Amino acid sequence: AAAGLGPARPFLARRPGALRALLGLARGLAAGPQTHFGFQNVSEEERREKIYQVFENVAEKYDVMNDSMTLGIHRVWKDILVHKMNPSPGTLLVDVAGGTGDIAFRFINYVRSVRERQLQQKLKRHQNLSWQEISKSYEEERVKPLGDSQVVVCDINKEMLKVGKQRAQHLGYSEGLSWVLGNAEELPFDDDKFDVYTIAFGIRNVTRIDLALQEAYRVLKPGGRFLCLEFSHVSNPLLSRLYDLYSFQVIPVLGEIIAGDWKSYQYLVESIRRFPPQEELKEMIEDAGFFKVDYQNLSSGIVAIHSGFKL
Amino acid sequence: AAALRRAAGSRGAGGQGGGQGPGLEPSLLRFLVCPLSKRPLRYDESANELVNEELGIAYPVIDGIPNMIPEAARRTQKQAEAVKET
Repeated sequence: AAAGLGPARPFLARRPGALRALLGLARGLAAGPQTHFGFQNVSEEERREKIYQVFENVAEKYDVMNDSMTLGIHRVWKDILVHKMNPSPGTLLVDVAGGTGDIAFRFINYVRSVRERQLQQKLKRHQNLSWQEISKSYEEERVKPLGDSQVVVCDINKEMLKVGKQRAQHLGYSEGLSWVLGNAEELPFDDDKFDVYTIAFGIRNVTRIDLALQEAYRVLKPGGRFLCLEFSHVSNPLLSRLYDLYSFQVIPVLGEIIAGDWKSYQYLVESIRRFPPQEELKEMIEDAGFFKVDYQNLSSGIVAIHSGFKL
Repeated sequence: AAALRRAAGSRGAGGQGGGQGPGLEPSLLRFLVCPLSKRPLRYDESANELVNEELGIAYPVIDGIPNMIPEAARRTQKQAEAVKET
């Protein structure tokens, strides 16, 4: 390499500006390849920083904003995700970019009600139970209301996790729930650990989606399921126009009025447009090694649930 | 990343790691590994941090939440000594 630089070195020595330009270029390359932040072009490192700041700013108002922007419909989308998951008691879930806990809480509610129904069915089936056996059954429900189900919420943003933990305390969630500060591209979990991996409205904010998908594959048990809920592309041209209008005219204004933050919501709207459409995301998920990958459009494609399995 | 590094710096500089606040949820220990090496960690209850002996780094536990971002990890004494020796 030094030999290769041979003829160039005296050239560079006589032209300090050129050397400086080369160093600048090297530094730029070190910051990572170019990527996008909404409609801007930025380096990967810059993108990560800017996104971190967006969520740091909106964390406190995140839930209020979700309700206002989607007119409460985000709750239905999240309900559908957990119903599609249909977790049985004993399921281990990792919810990535799960910040304020929406999916985690729904998961807990779901397995709790499944477990209750299981215990009720058990009691009904055995007509000649002694008092001892009946009280043992109630004791089971009291001690293990979730039946060994667990959800680990992983998010890269401290503020979002803080809000999530506070909400959990408020709403009385504690059993089977834990919180980890971690990066979706570099998960701090061992291989083959979880039954289900979810990422709801989070993958859009990951800079290297391919890495996040690889990590998702790694931490899932064989037979485990990947579920992604994310804004997607609307194919119907009329609906698409109305959706664009609403997104670009109404949402940033709401962001300014409710959260005092126009720019963050401008980013949000732009990031949705930059995100790969249904088929492209499906291919990316397949590239990570998942099988039986398919997607389900919700609200005419405004949102889609992608699903895949690790075999 | 700069924001993360700033936050990490303020915690790591004192060399205290986690220390204050509630400890780690024990059920997490079955899942957690070092995000860099994916190798097991040792939970140091007194310092309230998760130690990767091999790499000589420790991840703090703040308010019961383990901070598993590599930039937040602090270099343990052992690694500093090893560096001095070489």
